[in-house]
Amino acid sequence: MPVQQKLFRFAFRLLGNEDDAKDITQDALMKVWRQQGKMNELENVEAWCMRITRNLSLDKIKARKYRVADDLEKALELPAVDTQNPHVATEQQDMMKRVHAAIHALPEKFRLVIQLRDMDGFSYQEIADMLDITINEVKVNLHRARQKVREQLKNVYAYGLQ
Amino acid sequence: MHMDYSNIRSLLDKYWEGETSLEEEAQLKQFYNAAPADLPKDLQEAAPLFHYFEIATPTTNLPGFEALQTAFETPATTPVIKIGFLRNWMQYAAMLAIALGIGYGIQQHIEADRPPQHPELSFRQDTFNDPKEAFAETQKALQLLARNLNKGKQEMVKLNYFNEATDKVKEN
Repeated sequence: MPVQQKLFRFAFRLLGNEDDAKDITQDALMKVWRQQGKMNELENVEAWCMRITRNLSLDKIKARKYRVADDLEKALELPAVDTQNPHVATEQQDMMKRVHAAIHALPEKFRLVIQLRDMDGFSYQEIADMLDITINEVKVNLHRARQKVREQLKNVYAYGLQ
Repeated sequence: MHMDYSNIRSLLDKYWEGETSLEEEAQLKQFYNAAPADLPKDLQEAAPLFHYFEIATPTTNLPGFEALQTAFETPATTPVIKIGFLRNWMQYAAMLAIALGIGYGIQQHIEADRPPQHPELSFRQDTFNDPKEAFAETQKALQLLARNLNKGKQEMVKLNYFNEATDKVKEN
């Protein structure tokens, strides 16, 4: 994955909004570009870029009293797999909304880890760098996040979709 | 159609325990992406989750930062600094300066060892061989020293007055 794509994904997970994530990615890259000279001194340039992205995102959240968007509207637009059968399609949409809600109901530290790992495919080390936590914390949080989502899914199955 | 799902089951167990590698997670995603509709019930549980992972990720095209990208991809190499004429020139100049310095030092040394060319002149300048004159010169020098020391002492006395005065003021 190209670096800017990684930065974008990370910013997107933090801010929950594509446009803002794009802006932050641009800003972060500009900042990196301006400080190119520093690159040779750094052991891990990517981690440094991630740190810049995180700081910019957090600044944005702070500055605007940002509410991390829970793009439920986006989830509603999720493409249905089976478009031939409207009933099945609706059911699938509904299921996706439930999964989406389950993930977004997680505490932030769990949500970010499961998103960055399972949706964006980052390594433990990358996530640790991004969130400034240890690899062990990443693993623990991921495990708990998956357990919680699993419980939610079990409830959905137990009580049905209706 | 009957498929052997044991591999997927063990991967799923690992997944829920948070012990899968990225490759194994990719395998699971791939499996659920192409999974048949009649999955066994235990495998259906995770299907919506993996389906969600697949579709809920933004595929945004970002403006290219190719230059930066190449900067990331090219391994960091230490730039080769060519040591040209300048550096060598300075080396040679330093060597020359040292050589001249040593040469000058040796020359001075030889000259100092050489007997004076006008003995009667140097005799007059040198006070060491004339005890009277040497005594007078020493006395002069010591007197100068004493005068200066006394000057310093006088200043100290003045300072002392001042100190006493401040002490008095403080007492009152």
